[in-house]
Amino acid sequence: MYRRSLLVGASSLALAGSRAAQAQGVIKVGFPMILSGPGALFGEPAMKGAQMFVEEINAKGGVLGRKIELIPRDTKGNADEAVRQARDLILRDEVQFIVGTLTSAEGPAVSTIAKENKIVFIAPIPKTDQLTAPANLHPYVFRSSSNTTIEGRTAAEIVAKWPVTKIGTIAPDYAYGQDVTKAFVEHLKKIKSSVEIVDQQWPKLGEADYTPFINAQLGKKPEAVFSALWGGHFVTFAKQAKPLGYFKALNNNLIGVGEAGSIESTKSMGADYPVGIWGNTYDVFNWPDAPPAHKDYITRLKKYTNQEHPSSWPITGYIGMQFLTDAIAKAKSLDSDKVSAALKGLTIDCPLGSMTMRAKDQQANHGQFWGRTKMDPKYPFAILENVTRIDPEPFMG
Amino acid sequence: MPEPSFLFGQFLGGLTAAMFLFTIGAGLSLIFGVLRVLNFAHGSFYMFGAYIAWQVMTWLGPGTEYFWLAALGAATGVAVLGVVIERLLLRHLYGREELYQLLFTYALVLILADSVKIIWGTGQLSASRPPSMTGAVQIFGTTVPYYNLFIMLLGPAIALGLWLLMHRTRLGRMIRAAVMDREMLEALGANVGVLYTVMFAVGAFLAGLGGALVTPVKSIVPGMDVEVIVEVFIIVVIGGLGSLWGTFLGAVVFGQVLAFGILIMPRFSIFAVFALMAIILIVRPWGLLGKPLSR
Repeated sequence: MYRRSLLVGASSLALAGSRAAQAQGVIKVGFPMILSGPGALFGEPAMKGAQMFVEEINAKGGVLGRKIELIPRDTKGNADEAVRQARDLILRDEVQFIVGTLTSAEGPAVSTIAKENKIVFIAPIPKTDQLTAPANLHPYVFRSSSNTTIEGRTAAEIVAKWPVTKIGTIAPDYAYGQDVTKAFVEHLKKIKSSVEIVDQQWPKLGEADYTPFINAQLGKKPEAVFSALWGGHFVTFAKQAKPLGYFKALNNNLIGVGEAGSIESTKSMGADYPVGIWGNTYDVFNWPDAPPAHKDYITRLKKYTNQEHPSSWPITGYIGMQFLTDAIAKAKSLDSDKVSAALKGLTIDCPLGSMTMRAKDQQANHGQFWGRTKMDPKYPFAILENVTRIDPEPFMG
Repeated sequence: MPEPSFLFGQFLGGLTAAMFLFTIGAGLSLIFGVLRVLNFAHGSFYMFGAYIAWQVMTWLGPGTEYFWLAALGAATGVAVLGVVIERLLLRHLYGREELYQLLFTYALVLILADSVKIIWGTGQLSASRPPSMTGAVQIFGTTVPYYNLFIMLLGPAIALGLWLLMHRTRLGRMIRAAVMDREMLEALGANVGVLYTVMFAVGAFLAGLGGALVTPVKSIVPGMDVEVIVEVFIIVVIGGLGSLWGTFLGAVVFGQVLAFGILIMPRFSIFAVFALMAIILIVRPWGLLGKPLSR
């Protein structure tokens, strides 16, 4: 380790001269993201989206006449590692901006680093409300993804229409799971007073064996369940729950937030996917009401990722990067304070339509796609039936 | 008070988890009992078992009865890996202090973890259960998947098999003799080196088998090695390191504490397991069924 840092030290000295010259040329953007483990199911495609955006904008000459250099780093889904990587990106790679992080543990942790170093940080995925809550808000943190209030309340609106009153919840025991479950429960109780929360399970994030939680939940006999298990965690959970008759006992009345309806989740499970449940996703390649910009984006994405049915997560990295470059263009500067000012209230024209970064809480009005999963003979995996993109405005507070 | 059928379901869930852990832990305990080496890399063997099984299934056809062949193949592959490691490397450390053995097996953990990432990447892989095991049976109003039933029966079968091997065969008698007095056994003309290799291979085989069998139930992902080794250490500490039935008991206790802990105080069930281990370490450091080390 010591020898390695010596080496790095020596090489960075040697590079220092060339770097100063280079700094005039490229805009360096650090991209800390989960690139290994169960979170990589979402992190990997999110990075692809950011990379595609960067290649496209560089092909058009970059922004302010400068090319963008994206530097991805693996956070391993661990907040400590995310902080270490963010520090390293700032100190060693001298990045001017950070776009990235995936979990709601990583996002707020990197936000404090951004504040310390006065570096604009755009979180394209972490959803916890705490990230941009008044107590934690500072001029350098922005969120281009949805958040737990939007997601929890949207799910509550959907579940309120089901003929059920006994509700159970299962969510990973950390910021995201707790916040989104709270938003869901509070909103559901408000709009449908007859509901009763009969059970709440809190497995740890990354739990390998959900069986005892599944049994315990079945024992309380909920009529519907709200799940906030995401990515590979949902895959593991569903694999264990299906043979235990869990989805059958619920009559498929389960709503899986945390993108359980994303193509990444359905594809990776194939025939094991609990078809019939509800889920959400950031993007759908077969959006029936797609605007031309989205159709064009999907065509480019297909080509870029070499996938016949492209992933849903690239859009998160893509939009995060677009907010950044549009803000740089608007600010006509790389100065953190000027870019931060430009980001407040900035409206971008992205593949999903227009999207605005609210000035008051530095949160984008980013809604998601929702629908019931079904098998379609056209595809070897489940897709969302009657998928609709739900406007987040009424739920943003 | 929850319904009895539900309590029974929770019990069976805990038992399934326990039998998975026993399959893996039996190998660790066996290796320690005979070779006196605490093999940190046992979890890595488990991980290799899972990845190799996935690989073989992908070649032969995922979601088919080839699953069984893949599982056996993976376990055998890991046993071969174990033989290579024991013959070429570990062998040189038998006379040394335990600290060197620990450092060596820890180094193995890092090397094997990186090898997995290089060969199979860092994403999450997934396998399906074989078609013959997709169904479930109702027992006292609880749905019990065939596969879980199979695992619950496999655990005791492995325990019985190992007991018979140790107490009813010539090999077993020699192994027990080697544990008591290695020099004397060598003086009598037995090849203790081969004996050690065989036991290491059997231990590795069990780890690999556990890893392969876990693939339809859990995700195959880097980090599964460290996760399982912690759990396996807990069960062998509770039951007694080197004791077969101790490991069995430790696994059952672990599974049930976790299953019913979730029922009673969901957020503290993991804490309960660690607390139990701490208490046993203080009150009875050699575990429930272990023997105090004579050294």
